Parts: sequence; C-alpha cells; structure tokens
Amino acid sequence: MSEEITMKKIDQFANHAVRPTASETHIEAKNFSLFYGDFEAVRKVSLEIPKRMVTAMIGPSGCGKSTLLRSINRMNDLIPSTHASGEMIFDGHNIYDRNIDVVTLRARVGMVFQKPNVFPKTIFDNVAYGPRLQGVKNKQELSDLVETSLRQAAIWNEVKDRLNENALGMSGGQQQRLCIARALAIKPEILLMDEPTSALDPKATAKIEDLIGELRENYTIVIVTHNMQQAARVSDLTAFMYEGVLVEFGKTKRLFTNPENQQTENYITGRFG
Amino acid sequence: MRANANTSLIMSTAASRRLYFGALLGKSLLFLITSLSTLAVFFIFYFILKDAIPFFKLEGFKEFFTSTRWYPSGHPAEFGALPIFAGTGLVTLGAVVVAVPLGIAAAVCLSDLLPFNVRQIVKPVIEILAAIPSVAYGFFALVVFAPLLQNHGGAILAAGAWLVLGPILVLMVVVLGDLLLDKLRAIKLSPRTLGMVVFPILGTLAFTFLYRLSAHLGGIEISSGTNALNVAVILGIMALPTVVSVSEDALQAAGRELREGSYALGATRAETIIKTIIPASISGILTAVILGVMRAIGETMVVWMASGNAASMPTPWYNVLQPVRTLTATIAGDMGEADHVTGSARFHVLFAMAFCLLAFSFTMNLVSELIVKRSRKKLGK
Amino acid sequence: MRLETRKLLDKSFSGMGLIAIAIMAAALVLILSPIIWRGSKAFVFKGTIEHRRVMLEQYQRGNSERFTAEMAKATEARAPVYEMMAAFNAELKEMDRAKRRDYKDPYREVEKAVSVLLGPKPGDRTPVLLRQQYGQTRWDRALVKLHEALYSADWDYSNTDAMGVLVETPRANAFKGTKLEPLFDYLENHLDEMLRPKTTFYWQFITDTSKDSHFFGGIWPEVLGTLYLTLGAMIFAVPMGVIAAIYLCEYAREGRVVSFLRICISTLAGVPSIVFGLFGLAFFLNTIHVSDSKSVLAGSLTLSLLILPTIIRSSEEAILAVPRAYKEAALGLGAGRWHTILTVILPAALPGILTGVVISMGRAAGETAPIIFTAAVSVGAPLKLWETLSQPTPALPWNIYNLCTEHEAVDEIRHVQYGMVFTLVAIVLLLNLFAILMRARISKKLRG
Repeated sequence: MSEEITMKKIDQFANHAVRPTASETHIEAKNFSLFYGDFEAVRKVSLEIPKRMVTAMIGPSGCGKSTLLRSINRMNDLIPSTHASGEMIFDGHNIYDRNIDVVTLRARVGMVFQKPNVFPKTIFDNVAYGPRLQGVKNKQELSDLVETSLRQAAIWNEVKDRLNENALGMSGGQQQRLCIARALAIKPEILLMDEPTSALDPKATAKIEDLIGELRENYTIVIVTHNMQQAARVSDLTAFMYEGVLVEFGKTKRLFTNPENQQTENYITGRFG
Repeated sequence: MRANANTSLIMSTAASRRLYFGALLGKSLLFLITSLSTLAVFFIFYFILKDAIPFFKLEGFKEFFTSTRWYPSGHPAEFGALPIFAGTGLVTLGAVVVAVPLGIAAAVCLSDLLPFNVRQIVKPVIEILAAIPSVAYGFFALVVFAPLLQNHGGAILAAGAWLVLGPILVLMVVVLGDLLLDKLRAIKLSPRTLGMVVFPILGTLAFTFLYRLSAHLGGIEISSGTNALNVAVILGIMALPTVVSVSEDALQAAGRELREGSYALGATRAETIIKTIIPASISGILTAVILGVMRAIGETMVVWMASGNAASMPTPWYNVLQPVRTLTATIAGDMGEADHVTGSARFHVLFAMAFCLLAFSFTMNLVSELIVKRSRKKLGK
Repeated sequence: MRLETRKLLDKSFSGMGLIAIAIMAAALVLILSPIIWRGSKAFVFKGTIEHRRVMLEQYQRGNSERFTAEMAKATEARAPVYEMMAAFNAELKEMDRAKRRDYKDPYREVEKAVSVLLGPKPGDRTPVLLRQQYGQTRWDRALVKLHEALYSADWDYSNTDAMGVLVETPRANAFKGTKLEPLFDYLENHLDEMLRPKTTFYWQFITDTSKDSHFFGGIWPEVLGTLYLTLGAMIFAVPMGVIAAIYLCEYAREGRVVSFLRICISTLAGVPSIVFGLFGLAFFLNTIHVSDSKSVLAGSLTLSLLILPTIIRSSEEAILAVPRAYKEAALGLGAGRWHTILTVILPAALPGILTGVVISMGRAAGETAPIIFTAAVSVGAPLKLWETLSQPTPALPWNIYNLCTEHEAVDEIRHVQYGMVFTLVAIVLLLNLFAILMRARISKKLRG
C-alpha cells in the first residue's frame, strides 16, 4: 500500500467526471455516503450510471465498491447500525427517502451475489420465486416466465429436462446462471452483480461474461469485480474506488489505457491492490 | 403481465403506515409469545414461592434447616429436613465423584485421542445414554442393580476398587519409581540394577495395599441394595453425557493453534492436554461439572425408586451404604399423602423443598453463566 | 523427568481416556441388555395353555375348537392330580382328630399351590379375582410356582447372631406314607403335559388393555397415554418454541432485553423436573383450573414447559445455520421479511428444527416427575381423544414406577414391568435414532 497517500490527496484526486457518456442516466448518486456505525465506508460519492450499459466498479478489497453496489437496492439495511447521507436517485426519487417501498425497489433492481445462493428448492421454484411473490399464480404464465428467464440466462438447454430437480445438484457455474435467471424473472430494470464470478472456474466465468454481454442490450448492469481483466472485457464504463472514495470514473477503454489519475494508474498497473 | 417500471417506488402514506403498523404488530406479537415462553420461569418461581411461604410462616426456618427429626405425619408433626438435605448432598457428591473424572477423561479422549470415524461411533453412545428415560434408569437401579448389591455387595466393591485403583496405582508406581531413580543417581550403580530393586519394592507395596483394601471391602455386607451408593452410581452415569459433551465442546474450542504451539515445544500429547488445553478450557469444564451437578440434584425417579427413602442422617456423613432420602424423592413421594389437605404444613413443606431446589439450580445457572462470560472477557472475544 | 517416563505417562494417559470410554460403553450395554433381553420376553415367551385360555376367554382371540381339543388333553393330564387329592381327602376323613389337625395346614397350602399352578379345581366355585381364575400363563412363572408347590420355605432364626436363613424342605416329607405323596413327583414330571408350553409371540402386548391390574393382557392404556401426553406437549411447545427462536434470531437486536430472555431460557432449562410437576399442580390445576382433576391437558402443558428450552435452542441453532446468502437472495428478489422467513429460512431450517423436536419428543415421552401430580394415574382405561381434556391417564413412565414399587404383587408381573420399560426405551431410542440419521443427512447436505 502506498501509505504516502493521505486522505486529503485522495479527495484531491477525486475530481472525476460524474457523467462520462451522453446516454440517459438511470441511477444517480449525489454526494452519497454510507456509514457502518461511525465508519464511513462510502465517502460522498457522486456518479451517474447510464441506462443499458455495463458499469464496472473496481478497487482493492475494502474500498467500498461492494457497499456502494449494495446501497443501490438498500441491501445494507440488513446490517444493523448502518445509515446513509446524500442522495441515491432512481426513477426520480431518492431511494433513501422514508416513504420508499423497499420491497418494490428491490423488485425493480435485481441482484446477483458473490457466491451462487440458490435456494434448496427445485430449479423451477427458484426461478418462480420472485414472480410468485408478485402474485403470478397462473401456471402457464409462470412456466413461460421461467422458460424466458432461463433462456435469457443461457441455461435453458442445460436444465430444461430437470426443472423439478433440486437446484443444489447443479454445478457452481450453472447455479450462478440460475441465480441470474432468478433475478431476471422479476423483470428488473437494473441488475447488480457483486463479484459474480469470484467463486467460479475460468470456463464458467467465460460463460457468465458472455451472458453479461448479451444482457446489456436490455438491462442496466452494475458489476463489482476484483478482476481488472474482467472489467476491461465486459464493461462500457469503469469506476475506480479507493478507501470509500470514487477516484476515477470513465469509459473503460480510456480508463485502462490512459488513466487521468496517478492512483488509478498505480492500481491498474498492479503497484498495489 | 405486470410491468415493473410502472410500479411506483413511492408508497402512499396510508400504505406506508399500514406496513409500519403491520410490522410493529407482528413484531410485538412475536415478542409477546417469546416473552410468554421465557417468562414462564417467573411464573414457576412465583407459584412455588407462594405455596412455600405458608410453611415458613407456620413452622419457621430453624427447625427445617437444622433439626434431624423428619416426622411430617406425627403428632405434633416435625419437619427437620436436615437429613434430607444431607441425603441429597451425599448422593450428588457421589454422582460427581463418578461422573466428573470419567466424563472429563472421556471428553479428552473424544476431542484429542480418537480418530474421526471412531468418534462418530462413540457419540451416539453418549446420545443414547442421555436419551434413556430416567424411569428406565430407576427401574434398572431398583430391579437389577439393588439385588446385585445386596447379594454380592462385597465382591462388587472389591472389583470396583481393583478397576479404579489398579490403573492409578500402576501409574503411581511408575512415576514414583522414576523420580526415585532420578534422586538415587548419586549411588554408583547402573540405573538398570537400581530399577530392578526399586520397581519391585514399590510394586509389592502397592499390590499389598490394594489386596488388603479389596479383602476388607469384600467382607462388607450390604444390608439393603437400595442405598446412596446405588443411586450415586446410576446418577453418575446419567450425568455423564452432560459432562462429556459440554467439556468436549470446551476442549474443542481451545483451538488447534494452542495445541500446535505446545507440540512444537516438544510436549507429549498428555502434557499438551494437561498443561495447556485443560487450563485454557477450564471455564467450559467447570460449566460441564455444574450442569452435571444440576442433572444429578434435580433427578427424581432414580432416587425415589432406589435410594431407600430413609430420612435419617448418614453416619458417618460419608456412609454411602446406608439408605438415604433426597429432596426430589420427598416431594414426589409425600405429595400423594399431602395432596388433599391443601393448606397444611405437610403440603407446603414440599413447596419449600422445591423452592430450595429451584434456588439452588438458579444460582448454579447464574454461576455457570458468569464463568462463561468471564472467560470470554479474558479471551477477548 | 526422563523422556521414557514422559512417553510412558503419555501412553497411560491415553489408556485412561480409553478406559473411560470403555466404561461408558459398558454401562450402556449393562443397562440396556437386561431391559432388552427380559423386555422382549414380554412379547416372545413360552406361553402355557392357560395363556391361550385367557386370550380366548378375555380377548376373544384364537381358535376355540383347537383350544377345546388341547384343553381336553391337558385336563386328562391333570386328572391324576385331582384324583390323588380326592383320595387323600378320603384318607383324611378316616384319621383321628389330632393327626387330621396336623395335616390340615400343610394340605391347605398344597391345595392353594396347585390352584395357583393349574387354575381352580374343576367343579369349584369360580373365584372373584380374575387372577385366581386361571393357572400360570407363562412357563417361566409356572416353574417358579412349581418350586413353591414342591418345597415349603421357612425362615430359620435359630442363630440369633446372624440374619435369618431361608430353609427349604420338600413338602413331600410332610405327607410321607399318605396317598398325597406321589402327587409331588407327578407334578414335577408331568407339568408340561398339564400346561402344554408353546413358544408364543404376543405382539398384542402393546395393543391389549390389561386385566386385573396387569396380571393379564398388555399395556395399551399406558402406551396411548404416553402418546397423548407427548403429542399434547408438542402441540403447545413446538409453535411457541419455533416462534421464540424466529424472534430471537431474526428480529431481536442483541441487547439487555435479549440477554435477559436468554438467561430466562437457560434458567428454565435448569429447573428440576419435579419442580415442573409442582408448578403444574399449583398453577394449571389449583390456580387456573384447566380441568377439575389431573388431566392429560394439564400434563401436556407442564411437559411443554419442560421441553420448551430444548426446542428454542435447537430451532435457533437450525435457523442460524441457514446461510445468510439465502436471506439476501430472497430480499434481493423483493420478498418482505415475513415472506423471507416463511418461504426461505424456515424450509431450509426445517430438518434441523425437526431434529430438535424429535429429540424433545423422546424427552417428553420419558419424563415421569412432571406428570405425577398433573396427569398420571395407576389404573385406567384407554382415553378417547376428547376425554384428554378432563381425564387423567395411565402413562408408561409412571406405570413403570408404579408397577415395580407399589403394585401388590411386584414379583408376579416382572415381565410386564420389563415389557413396559422395553417399550418406553424403544420408543425413545427410535425417536433419537431418527434424529441422529436426520442430522447425518443434514450435515452431508451442507458439506456436499
């Protein structure tokens, strides 16, 4: 770690572009901070995540990238003694306002987790879980929805004959794609992915990455990754975070080839992290 | 199909209020049920105490705790419960003597000595011992064990002495002999020759002692098989699973690092366990002992069936071959006679005894809780 | 200390541990084997023709024609006994009064012994007590009774320094030279023809009611009572315990209130079972009057308090073992808190919760002390379901105690006592076995 970098310097670095592309903004953070008790895990971040693009968040572990991601659908609410300041705007509302319906929010912002977390239920029931929550009872409608989602997640062909088997019997890569299908089945607008391939082998990783490439047509995707190559491969935009601060945010190609910020360069060239 | 984008993020005030109060209501309901089930403890304390107080009002404390005369149906009735307390104490002490050394040795064996697959076989043995209903233990004590004790008491005692003291004496001979050899190094003789002298002498001494003891025990005749010894042994076996499983957990929790640290300094397994692991997990082991004591003291059926139920002081105090009577057995046995005379001292004295039991187990519980808390603080967890 | 000694000590230390384990295992075997061995004899034993007679007359079971044919043979074998007795009676009338008086008591004893062995003499008035209407139903008991018929036992107190000594003298000695003398040899040599023992498999021991306070028949009222009490306790304890566990794991914030609740739970777990019994009496029966007298309801409530801590703890453990990821996934899909608990957490925790429930079922089934004052009676008919609200019931644990301490003929019905203990232990161990297997499956699933 380059300890010579003081917090002041980081703040000074953080003169990043808030809005690197011209496309329509889908989520906007304005001076957003998130605290675990007294600890400020995300520090006054401002950025605009554009619609139907893949935005990657990179940075060393503990830099707050996962926390920022989980702030977008308020998953951090689960951890006691967290609170937020600033604004996180989605669909014209600050999602941290008191009158926000968190359940609807989470239904509109899907999430895929680090480890594939399929329920110990059948494959069908896993995918149908979300739609059933929203009151879809019609069997035909449900099975259509399940099929579409599984097809979208590029796993239909592998599981179509065993929809009624326990999902825990699948391989890790299949489980993760099932999780993606499960998230897609609730028809979210945004898909949050928290290091979705960190528990998978290279082959399964490649499949998920291909899938992300296909999904960007219809969804806004925000992906947190440890793996810079992955960010370079799959994303349109990349945000680099360090110690809770958003250091640089820009088009992926530009950020990886010609970083504006010294700290970013140090990180992507492997000098720390 | 429902289109997500149309669902507004904003809840109407009414809906939000409904949700809030719904959640609050649900949570309060859960809390209510939870406290109901936990606060049962207070109900128990209250209702036992409520029926115990009249006894102390009627008869006072002094006689109850100090007199040795227990004649609840006499005229006038006498309620000296000291022999009953003594019986309870004696039986519990006996159970501890049986269960604690055995239990800790077995726990050590389970956590550090046995390979994984053997452990998988031994664990169900412990679970089954714990699962057998107390009345089945009581039946065994009364129908099988008591006649055995009565008819072959001396032989059983002698065999027990050999079984328990035999290994211990062998160990003592080895250690003492070794220490002696170390001390005698000044004498210019080869350790081999010295050993040939020292070990036989010590061995003969130990053997003679054991032989004499077992001959003495073998001559004892037990007049009644339903006595404190019988109950203590059975209670010890019943408390064993608790002691084993709790202290095994404690030993396991001491962690691998500690063990590796000790082994790396050249300690043998026994030294590692005795000098490092057991001191590190002493709080857990103490908790195990306390839980074992509580199991023994609270047990009813075995003592009621097989202790002989004689409310007399054991003389001398450690005489386990005499029939005794315990608190639990008195409550169980006398309630039948006192049941319909609600309000009499005879009825309330049983509640007074129950209150003593309750207070004791509550204190023990708190003590064990404190021990755990303190050790956690010490370990900085 | 020398290295060799240290190594030796190390080995003996291991040896001590192994001895401890061995003693534990030996204790288990020693306790279980008489229960299993002699308990199984309540089900499989050599039954005499009297057993078949009881079955036919009291339980309407068996082939009546075949029995009549067999009984005819037995009667034929018994005839000489009664003939000899009749002959002796005639002889007795001829004797002078002093001699007659000498024979009177010994002869009465013989008459009694014979009727205990074979049942009442044909033509005699039917005795009132059911147990006197039949001879010995079990061959092992018959052999004991034969011994009593052949020998008279007296206590010899001639040595005042020692305890009395039991002296047995053949009864035949007293009747030397009379017509009764051959009776004893005949009894000894022809007993199996008179009683016709046959290996019997009496599985109905579990489902038959008992006749004449367990002299005949089975233990159904006790088994049923135990089932009622156990299930009743479950009905109260499982919902309460699981809800409390959900609250403690998912809702409660760690703090004073929760740590206080936890102390309450551990105190409840430490309350001696007899105190639960007293509490049940003082609260459920004497204060809120759930029923007028002891009842299954009051017993179930008391037992449910007893097993509540176990259920709370095991459910808590099971719920905490559910991976956090499941919860996050469900919430991430837009499920509410309750919905997450109901559809994801509880199903995943169910096997663990069930394991705890099954183990506490075993505990509830075997507990005696809490039901002594609240639910148990010594003798009773099997209850109908609605009667459980107001009626007491016999139950296995209580009746085991009762039969082996307070029954008027403890030694006569050992096999019933053993059979009851066997049944109870079997129920409890089967439940535990089920729990052990279930837990093995869970841990396999979590690992795999």
